[in-house]
Amino acid sequence: MFAVEAIKLAKTFQTRQGPVKAVRNVSFAVAPGEIFGILGPNGAGKSTTILMLTTLLRSTTGSAKILGLDVDKDDAAVRNKIGVALQETGIDEVLTGKELVQSTGRLWGLSQSKASERSAELLSLVGLTDAADRRVKTYSGGMKRRLDLALSLIHQPQILFLDEPTTGLDPGSRRVLWNEIIRLRNEGVTIILTTQYLEEADALADRIAIIDNGVVELEGTPDALKASIGGDVILFSFETKEIAKRAGDSITNSEVTGRELRTTVNNGPQSIPNLFSILQANNIEAVAVSSSRPTLDDVFLKVTGHKLEAVKVHENDDLGNHGGV
Amino acid sequence: MAIDNSGGATFGLQLWILTKRLLIRVIRRPYTELPTVLISAFFLFVYVGQLDKVFGGSAMPSSIDFSKGNFVNFILPFSIVSASISGASSGINLVEDIESGVFRRYQAMPISRWAVILAPMLVGAVRVFFQSGLILSLGILIGASPATGPIGFLAILGIAFLWGMGFAGYSVAAGIRSGSAQGAQAATFLFFPALFIAPTFVPREALSGWLSSAAAFNPTTYVIEAMRGIMIDGWISESILKGVIASGLFALITLTFAVIAARKVTEKN
Repeated sequence: MFAVEAIKLAKTFQTRQGPVKAVRNVSFAVAPGEIFGILGPNGAGKSTTILMLTTLLRSTTGSAKILGLDVDKDDAAVRNKIGVALQETGIDEVLTGKELVQSTGRLWGLSQSKASERSAELLSLVGLTDAADRRVKTYSGGMKRRLDLALSLIHQPQILFLDEPTTGLDPGSRRVLWNEIIRLRNEGVTIILTTQYLEEADALADRIAIIDNGVVELEGTPDALKASIGGDVILFSFETKEIAKRAGDSITNSEVTGRELRTTVNNGPQSIPNLFSILQANNIEAVAVSSSRPTLDDVFLKVTGHKLEAVKVHENDDLGNHGGV
Repeated sequence: MAIDNSGGATFGLQLWILTKRLLIRVIRRPYTELPTVLISAFFLFVYVGQLDKVFGGSAMPSSIDFSKGNFVNFILPFSIVSASISGASSGINLVEDIESGVFRRYQAMPISRWAVILAPMLVGAVRVFFQSGLILSLGILIGASPATGPIGFLAILGIAFLWGMGFAGYSVAAGIRSGSAQGAQAATFLFFPALFIAPTFVPREALSGWLSSAAAFNPTTYVIEAMRGIMIDGWISESILKGVIASGLFALITLTFAVIAARKVTEKN
């Protein structure tokens, strides 16, 4: 059974300016224990999709199942199994962090003592123990998101929906949330998150759906998505231009510029030994070789026809897995 | 929506936790309560100042000596009822919760919609209760003395509580329908006809023409008359009963309207 299954979801809002198709066709399935990333620009339909999956909005057509339960027919049962952190955090800023977590726990049916216990546990988990008795008004943006995450975890949901969990956060806060999300996944929680950051999808998601204009354009693992646009790029360097030219003659589908030779293969690490043996057979020696993958940027551009306009996460991103051999 | 407790707290506990949270908000931002207290106090002092010599003298011909010589006793219920405008804050609070996403968070939890609506109404009632207490104390300072003694004060506060709940429900419904704080605020204009198409300054018998007929349909009339009875004439069960029924019915109707409005908002379309 899938943790989450969206089947041809569509949502049309009736507005005074006429109908607006926020979501046109969204289908995907998420296996238990996965981190599933929904990547797309502002207005692509990410939040609307999350609202439909979390029983908060009824789809116009299509259906969705959470652990086999229909989100429209079994909405109460679905809500008990999922945790939701929406973009609007929905936090009463006049209360303290501790008061909020405790009272939310009580609303979920925990006893007074269980609620305090769980509140202490969750606040320490998201690193807010020291700020627990301060009013939320004094919290930073990152602290509010972490508090929101704690609130969505109170009833120990099996599936967690996070709508743009790190939008607008500074790199440090973003990193803290990323680590927390990975830790939750390692504990067995299925996570569905939306993001407009390529780096975030790449760093966190086991699988990604690229959504644009309300339609899922492409879906797969980050590596599969990148591979879908032509595999890895292998770059050889030689001592002289002449050697490079000779290499170009022996390797089909290659392109020589100066002392360098570039070729695209399905799987870089696997292909490099083959390419080396071809060169050896022709008595050619390479000085250096590197394999690099196309980025999600390239994938997004190819499937949607435009670049994903989003603020870069930050420059020295060592969690991303772009890199050579 | 049926009251659904599956996987969550009981209805009573939900209501208590939601109410407690809103009360904490009031206690931590007490300055937001000031304007309405001041309005009620202002009404009390101004009307006593303006009308005490006209209606308050015991030398009056008996036909217009309706305050039995103590005009403060007569006008105090009006001032208390005017404190009900503080119930309007409940609607604004609810709109704040919709805008901040708190409402949606509740929607994603196993919480009864009735509890979500009833909580701000109760808090509105508590507001009106305490403000009425303040106004009553002020009234005592300037000479009010109820025919029923201290227990009469408690009875008046009880009716004020019910009435405050109704007015809070009205503002909550208006807030949900309009979806904006301005809408909730604007809807409180009803407060003025409610206060003045009523036996505000004189008994109902002294009203004339359309006002006298219209006042009979205004629940405020019965609330004021019940409180006046307690202040001036003693325990008159008929007027007290009418006052309790009028404010109770008003609260029930506004609660129902607010829940229907909330259902529309959360209908997921």
